[in-house]
Amino acid sequence: MNPAVREGMREGVRRIFTVSLGLIPWAIATGLAMRASGLSVGESLAMNLFVYAATAQLGTLPLLMGGAPLWLILLTATVLNLRFVIYSAAVSPAFHDQPWARRVAASYGLVDAVFIVLGPPLLEERDPQRRWGMFAGAALWCWVSWQAATALGIFGAGWVPADWSLGFMGTIALLVLLVPLCRDRAMLATAFAAGIAALVLRNLPLRTGVIAAVAVGLAVGVLFDRMAALRRRRG
Amino acid sequence: MEGLGLYGVFAVMFFATWLTRGAFLLAGERVRLPAGLQRFLRFAPAAALGALIAPELVGGTGQPLDFLSPRLAAAVAVVLVALRWRNPWLPFLVGMGVLLALQRLGG
Repeated sequence: MNPAVREGMREGVRRIFTVSLGLIPWAIATGLAMRASGLSVGESLAMNLFVYAATAQLGTLPLLMGGAPLWLILLTATVLNLRFVIYSAAVSPAFHDQPWARRVAASYGLVDAVFIVLGPPLLEERDPQRRWGMFAGAALWCWVSWQAATALGIFGAGWVPADWSLGFMGTIALLVLLVPLCRDRAMLATAFAAGIAALVLRNLPLRTGVIAAVAVGLAVGVLFDRMAALRRRRG
Repeated sequence: MEGLGLYGVFAVMFFATWLTRGAFLLAGERVRLPAGLQRFLRFAPAAALGALIAPELVGGTGQPLDFLSPRLAAAVAVVLVALRWRNPWLPFLVGMGVLLALQRLGG
């Protein structure tokens, strides 16, 4: 292996290490929630390998097990994934000089933690080999620790009494993700509006109320954004 | 999911995730995300999370709304803990603890 790549990988792992420890409870909760919703051990492991996006996995579990149509599952997963489009746009300059195969692999490994921790240093690193190493080291480390901790939850689920409502671990995981977002007032309004709309529309056929509620939330968020911009312009 | 089976759904979700993460890595240098669209996309996760979480706490499809549910109380505890402490294990321990305690008391 190119020494610059190897040195970069060490740097990437060093930078992501602390954050990756914080992901362990999340990963275990994801594993437990997949099993609690009715997926088998094999199905849970496969979903975790294929999708490798906890939010999309947890968010689509009720739809998946409730017999929702494929387009709705796909749409929900995509909406939950839209933040990745922003990440992708933000870090893309760090990948423009990389070969196609690396960009294809990077598109699988660009999870939240890697973007948040490695994004800024990647954009500053001049040497393309060392830069690739930093990304690859961090992404690989995240992947291995995530898969291992999720497997712990998947296999461990069988040991927990059935009446412990383990599916709620998935809801807690999503809440933990939502709380820091809502420090921004427009985000808080977005989440509340979407939540209330989801309750009002909960009996729409095929669980389409979820998507309608997301649209309501987005509209409220954009409205808040506009109003804040107007206020700034006046004051 | 008609006919496709679970693994087919996983495969479709794989592409949905890979393509959103890769959108600008794969497209190359010429493509840029317009600022207006970027501001709009910023709100997608909060909207989706709100819409998915609320029915889990208060009542989903075919259920009556229950604003006194143990799940909602547990969720409030989770939010308070997550706002106050940075420990990643605490929200799960407190949330499950409150939920199980209230369920035992109630039933």
